[in-house]
Amino acid sequence: MASSIRPASRLFTRASRASLVSLESPASRTLARTAMNTQTAVRTSISHNQLKNGTTLAHRAFSTSRAHLKKSPTMGQLKARNSTGPFSWKSALLFVLTGGGMIIYFRVEKERLERKRIAEMSKGVGKPRVGGPFTLTDLDGKEFTAEDLKGKYSFVYFGFTHCPDICPDELDKMAEIIDKVNEATGGEKIFLPVFITCDPVRDTPEVLREYLKEFHPGIIGLTGTYDQVRNVCKQYRVYFSTPRDIKPGEDYLVDHSIYFYLMDPDNDFVECIGRQDTPESATRTIMEHINDWKREGKPLRKD
Amino acid sequence: MGWLPWSSDSSSNAASDGGRIAPDRSSRQRCYEGRDLFFSCLDRNDILDAVKNDKEAQRKCGKELAQFETACSRAWVKYFKEKRVMEYNRDKTIERIKKEDAAKVEDLKSQGWTAR
Repeated sequence: MASSIRPASRLFTRASRASLVSLESPASRTLARTAMNTQTAVRTSISHNQLKNGTTLAHRAFSTSRAHLKKSPTMGQLKARNSTGPFSWKSALLFVLTGGGMIIYFRVEKERLERKRIAEMSKGVGKPRVGGPFTLTDLDGKEFTAEDLKGKYSFVYFGFTHCPDICPDELDKMAEIIDKVNEATGGEKIFLPVFITCDPVRDTPEVLREYLKEFHPGIIGLTGTYDQVRNVCKQYRVYFSTPRDIKPGEDYLVDHSIYFYLMDPDNDFVECIGRQDTPESATRTIMEHINDWKREGKPLRKD
Repeated sequence: MGWLPWSSDSSSNAASDGGRIAPDRSSRQRCYEGRDLFFSCLDRNDILDAVKNDKEAQRKCGKELAQFETACSRAWVKYFKEKRVMEYNRDKTIERIKKEDAAKVEDLKSQGWTAR
């Protein structure tokens, strides 16, 4: 055991002695300090050994520390170091700037990762299945499927035109959000606002067009047969309570969920925008997701 | 108010399939105004539930109710009446919970507990 320690301690002694000779440069000073620390550690183990193996090692260790004392920095050097301390204003500034920068960077990055986590919660295993394939009819009577939503962020709202007060409020909000998002994206056509009716019997394309044009011309109105609408409501986890056998013109209300669904260009669910959101907060949330998507260089359809 | 089934000028808002175009912004606004007038009359007369206390509401706010019913469709009238009761109960519940919370905090404070 002693034989294995001896060469090691000799090596450290030599290293520290060599570095103690030149103390001018700060690098060698640090090196020396490290060496001294190591030496202390070695010495502790040596003194432990010494109990068993005699005094030769102790003597050698002692002689090294004497060498260290001889070559310690002069009083002048120490004073110079004390007057400024280890920090100059430059290093202080650098420290503050780097620290501040790191804090901001980590905060931004943390928020981005949090959003990414939310966005990716709906991908892969164990995803909440909101949204999915559907076939509906647009306002021109043309077929519109879930595929038509791909490549853009879509903003899906379920409602019905004979809705007393909540849907009109929410659609006014939707109109504001559309304008704000279009402004923020600089008019890129990457945001599709969609209104899907839960009341297909009354809300024919004609009725829907008259209704939606009062809110925003950019809203895509979708309707379909009773079963098509029931299917899309099921896909989006929307409570669907429309009675089946009603004649057009009959007076009734429909219960439905009142969330906006933000869907990414893969048509995966990203986030809900609810009643508590203002147009500003909703736009912020949407733009954060759009910008994250762009930053990651994922494809967007801009036609 | 042509979209009302009993009103005479329903032709302008009829859809081609015999259904009706939904109320537009101005008729919605008219409906909300009729509702607010009727509800302020109910408030003055201490009536909460205009469905349950229909007779009393008819007697005391007959004129307002008639206006409300002309301005809104039947489903909407029923919806707003029910919503009034629901919102009243909701606000009462929130108030009660807040009071209970405040009382609990007072109670805990008197036992030497401090909020963070």
